Amino acid sequence: MRMLRLLTVIMLLFSVAPTITAQETITVDFYFPTATATITNPEAGESIEAVFNRYAAAFEAANPGVQINVVYTGSYTDTRNTIQTEIAGGGAGPDVAVMLTTDLFSFIEEGTILPVQDFIDTMPDGEAYVADFFPAFLLNSLDEEGVIWSIPYQRSTPVLYYNVEQFAEAGFDAPPRNRQELAEMAQALTLPDGQRWGVWLPTEGFPIWLFSAFVIADGQHFVEESPSEVYFNTPQTREALDYIISLSRDYGVMPGGTLSWGDGPSIFTSGKASMLFHTTGSLTRILNEAPFEVGVAFLPSGTAGEDGTGYGAPTGGGNLYLFANSTPEEQAAAWAWIQFLSSPEIQSDWGAATGYVAARRSAWELDPLASLVARRPQYAVARDQLAFAQKEFSAYRTIDIQGIINSTLSGIISGATTDIEGALTTAQAQIDSLLAEYR
Amino acid sequence: MRHHNALGSRVADAVTTLLSLLWLSPLIFAILLSFRPPNEPITNGNIFFGSTITLDNYRAAWSVAPWLTHYLNSIIFVVGVLIVQLVTVTMAGYAFARMRFRGRDTLLLIILLQLMIPSGVLIVQNFATIRTLNLFDTHIALMLPYWGSAFGLLLMRQTFREIPFELEEAARIDGASLWQVLRHVYIPLSIPAYTAFALVSISSHWNEFLWPFIVTRSESVRPLTVGLSKLVATTDVGALYNQLMAGTLLVIAPLVILFMFFQRRFIESFARSGLK
Repeated sequence: MRMLRLLTVIMLLFSVAPTITAQETITVDFYFPTATATITNPEAGESIEAVFNRYAAAFEAANPGVQINVVYTGSYTDTRNTIQTEIAGGGAGPDVAVMLTTDLFSFIEEGTILPVQDFIDTMPDGEAYVADFFPAFLLNSLDEEGVIWSIPYQRSTPVLYYNVEQFAEAGFDAPPRNRQELAEMAQALTLPDGQRWGVWLPTEGFPIWLFSAFVIADGQHFVEESPSEVYFNTPQTREALDYIISLSRDYGVMPGGTLSWGDGPSIFTSGKASMLFHTTGSLTRILNEAPFEVGVAFLPSGTAGEDGTGYGAPTGGGNLYLFANSTPEEQAAAWAWIQFLSSPEIQSDWGAATGYVAARRSAWELDPLASLVARRPQYAVARDQLAFAQKEFSAYRTIDIQGIINSTLSGIISGATTDIEGALTTAQAQIDSLLAEYR
Repeated sequence: MRHHNALGSRVADAVTTLLSLLWLSPLIFAILLSFRPPNEPITNGNIFFGSTITLDNYRAAWSVAPWLTHYLNSIIFVVGVLIVQLVTVTMAGYAFARMRFRGRDTLLLIILLQLMIPSGVLIVQNFATIRTLNLFDTHIALMLPYWGSAFGLLLMRQTFREIPFELEEAARIDGASLWQVLRHVYIPLSIPAYTAFALVSISSHWNEFLWPFIVTRSESVRPLTVGLSKLVATTDVGALYNQLMAGTLLVIAPLVILFMFFQRRFIESFARSGLK
């Protein structure tokens, strides 16, 4: 009898004990995609996953009672699908996730995310926190009313890479400043029979991103503040198309058709192209692989910018989002985790480890990023170009509209579409009909 | 006449060799690329090993994911699926081949309709089921949707129907129970079909990505394909084909080795079971 009572007590203890600790420990589910899995700073020598686990350990040590559950969720697209499936299937979803900045309006529409603005407003130094981010990186966080929904995290922007050795051989000691210069210099750098191309401007698959650099530099981006207005059929689009097509057709400095994005870095580092339009995300890889001195420059300025004012670039990459399904305790812990990841210390470490552009100004004054820039000034070019950068294309129905723009641009650049005027008019009409219900 | 035959067989040999080279080309390409230095892309006229043969790509690919855990999980996944499938397709195959019951043909039709539904469309529903059963992020969650197999059922039904009914009758007269009939008559006579089915099942689940990815969150239960996806998702740095090929070869190695060991048996099975 006494034995039985003792057993009951022990069993009770066992059944209660885990729930007590479960109440005390708050778990923040953190989903991260990766677009750079294998690229690690050789000096650091760790995978992206290892970097996040290191951050989580540091955060947990400083915040007892909070546990960060770091979950790899594939590519950006896989991450979006995973989260949508989980929530549609009645699951909780993550508390924090890194997702494309351009996912903003679809997640607002689905009601799955919370505006971080509510949490920023409770901070004693909220304004200073926001002001420390580069404004160009914050543009994709804002809705029409200027409410901040997401915090910049792994951000990038396209730059122009050039082969300093090949430039010197051709008698150039500086990168081109505008498109005319770029085309002429590329001609001098091109070798016959495809041995070497003057420039490699990828247009395959997802041309909208690099292409938007041209229309931004020409003064009319595809989107402005309103997510229900898209400006695709414009003189700026035609101008940029003319220029890109002329690089292969008239100047002969690029192979014809659409060029591969994925192959760009290795074509450049193997010396098969003297200049490359690519993301800053590939800077670390290119510096590591290239057996020559690599120059990094602003993208060439547009028609508006013969005086050097017409620079322009989109931004890209992923932001930190806060999810609505979490309990208030989890939300508080999740917000603390977001603040931690966006702190200057972590942004400096993350930028140096991955090559993403650290999103806060103060991060650039801290090591390891500060010393990296001192050693390799190429890292600072993308940061300085941010002064001319605009948001990445993002609107209601982002994915559908990106699809229309991408296929229209690919069709025209590859030569499959001959009626350029007609293709642009049709695409604009399709976009307008998609957006009609949001106006 | 003989001369003509010899010529014919030589032509046939040449065609087969050519075809098998064509089929082999992706594998050859992967092997070449995986041993090339990372900064030497394949270009016109330069498609063999690069300036030197290197293991760097394998080292880099190996560091990306906990591969040993992934290998173990993939093995648990495909073996766990196959064992249960063998039981279910045997029993269902027998029921539909030899038993008479009301609605049998309708039921068979409904099951076969499954073959036409792409598994992707069921993902949200399957996910909800897994959650309700509290199996999220477990090995069982990976396997559960595959425990029944319409394809396996159809294959076993056809195989069992071709076995002379007299054999079962004889066994029954000797007093064999249903289980003994299955064990001593049907199963031993259907080994080629089982082998063929096992190969199809193993290779398709070994390569399964989306479902395992959606229902798991921990590396401790995730299979090889999830590790491989880390090498694919590199849009921000450009394609790292050399590493990707090294990773792909690591992932397919067990299947390739398995196939080489059992090659003869597999080919016989496919020939006998009429599968292609």
